[in-house]
Amino acid sequence: MIQQLILSGIIAGSIYALIAIGFTIIYRTIKFFNFAHGVVYAAGAYLAYALFFLLKLNPILSFFLSLAMAALLGIAIDRLAYRPLRKHNAPSLIYLIASFGVFIFIQNLIQLIFGAQILTLRTGPVKEGYNILGAVITNIQVLIIGVSLILFFLGWLFILKTKLGKAIRAVSDDPVGARVVGINSERIILVAFAIGSALAGAAGILISLETNIEPTMGLNAILKGIIASIVGGVGNIPGALFGGLFLGLAENLGIWKIQAGWKDTIAFVILIIFLLLRPSGIMGVKTEKEKI
Amino acid sequence: MEYLIHIIIIAGIYIILSLSLNIIVGYTGLAALGHISFAAIGAYTSSLLALNFGVSPWIGLIFGAIFASIVGLIVGFPSLRIKGDYLALATFGLGIIIYSIARNWVSLTRGPMGLPGIPQFSIFGYEISSVWSYLILVLIFVIITYFVIRNITNSPFGRVLKGIREDEIATAAMGKNVNKYKIIVFVVGAFFAGIAGSLYAHYITFIDPSSFTVMESIVVLLMVVFGGMGSLAGSFIGASVLVIFPELLRFLGMPSSIAAPLRQMIYGLLLIVLMIWRPQGLIGRFRFKKT
Repeated sequence: MIQQLILSGIIAGSIYALIAIGFTIIYRTIKFFNFAHGVVYAAGAYLAYALFFLLKLNPILSFFLSLAMAALLGIAIDRLAYRPLRKHNAPSLIYLIASFGVFIFIQNLIQLIFGAQILTLRTGPVKEGYNILGAVITNIQVLIIGVSLILFFLGWLFILKTKLGKAIRAVSDDPVGARVVGINSERIILVAFAIGSALAGAAGILISLETNIEPTMGLNAILKGIIASIVGGVGNIPGALFGGLFLGLAENLGIWKIQAGWKDTIAFVILIIFLLLRPSGIMGVKTEKEKI
Repeated sequence: MEYLIHIIIIAGIYIILSLSLNIIVGYTGLAALGHISFAAIGAYTSSLLALNFGVSPWIGLIFGAIFASIVGLIVGFPSLRIKGDYLALATFGLGIIIYSIARNWVSLTRGPMGLPGIPQFSIFGYEISSVWSYLILVLIFVIITYFVIRNITNSPFGRVLKGIREDEIATAAMGKNVNKYKIIVFVVGAFFAGIAGSLYAHYITFIDPSSFTVMESIVVLLMVVFGGMGSLAGSFIGASVLVIFPELLRFLGMPSSIAAPLRQMIYGLLLIVLMIWRPQGLIGRFRFKKT
């Protein structure tokens, strides 16, 4: 029992980490809680569904095409909703409310196109899994954990090693200084939205291999991603991994003794505790506290 | 005609919600994103009292409002420590916790099955069941809410609230106990939201958690922002327009599978457009500032 809960926690946690790293990359450049990130996650799942089941494309091609389209969606969101706000030099709460607007708009657009009913990306019946240390794990679950961790580390390497990643960090730490040395911050924000949104889309597709997809799936996802980020320290990439796994394990071990319906409540209680006692998170810089 | 009156009653309930959120968000500048949960507490308290103990809805309404304001007191505490986006997130999280209690504490709330058969208000043995009589009841509460909140906001107390909104540190430097004011504002806002929830429950006579989702809180916030932050007349406009206007979609003969998401899409688009062009709302006086 406990082994199975730990396994569920790791699966959930690796998806949360993947959502959180995409959220973090975007957050680094724009510095607000972009709720629309959750709807990009949902859109990723629906795009994969449309490409794979409706256009009958090959699964690998569907996966990568969906990521590309999720990236474009992220760019479009930034261009149409957030860029005008940057021109007004709006405070972050205005961005936050606008991101809710984007979220509600796209979620209902998905519902209008695909209907409110539950869909699935699964094809065949669920195969019997392997037994590892008393927990049963299926092929699909190995794939989910594997791919999400690989994508997480690719995202991390991108931020650490590439020129664009360094530019994102520069814009994050000192927007004015970055402009002085000739970094085009608008272009960097676009790159961040493209990469972050593709990672969100990937998370949405991966989870849909295991569970059903529905238009409202994005809200829970982004909230868990944000909670993971706050637990780890907002803006901190290793923190996103730690926070995601911590949250996934806490939720799943928490329901060991109580009903499964309380899972979300556990997550939000963790959020409130962290916001009140340690808003800078486990790996965050302490001085962040002064800013909020 | 009955349908039109029904829409006006619903608009009236949303006006109470918007007025009570406006005092928190528009007048005091605190980003509260969980307002519907106070309405949920009001609705569930008075419904459960009526169903389980036969308590009169009038008494239930008062208890619901008081219990909502106790929770408002608890929700108010984070606002003393955290600000801006983080407060928005904390209140949003508390809203989800309250929703999930309504959904998961099945032995008390019957969870997603909801509570059917909630009794209606009655006065001197005459049951307020027709839409006309209920309209009068709701309008009375709208007027009470308006006058109480207007008197609060137009008083020296209200000027302190605006002081907190414009410059919290300066207000504290004037010797005002900023924390006390913030807590009181949450208590007052939650109290009237609790009344709105109770009015809703005894009118529809059925409640379930789906009426109190976090997205509903965002809709109430949209009403406040659309009408005008820090403007009570704005809350009347915002709630009325946003309740009545989407009903037109129904008159255009759209099936609800199209009308429902379309209405939400309009709400979403409105939020984006307002933030870009008029973050203080139609006749509002305040917009969120850089902290």
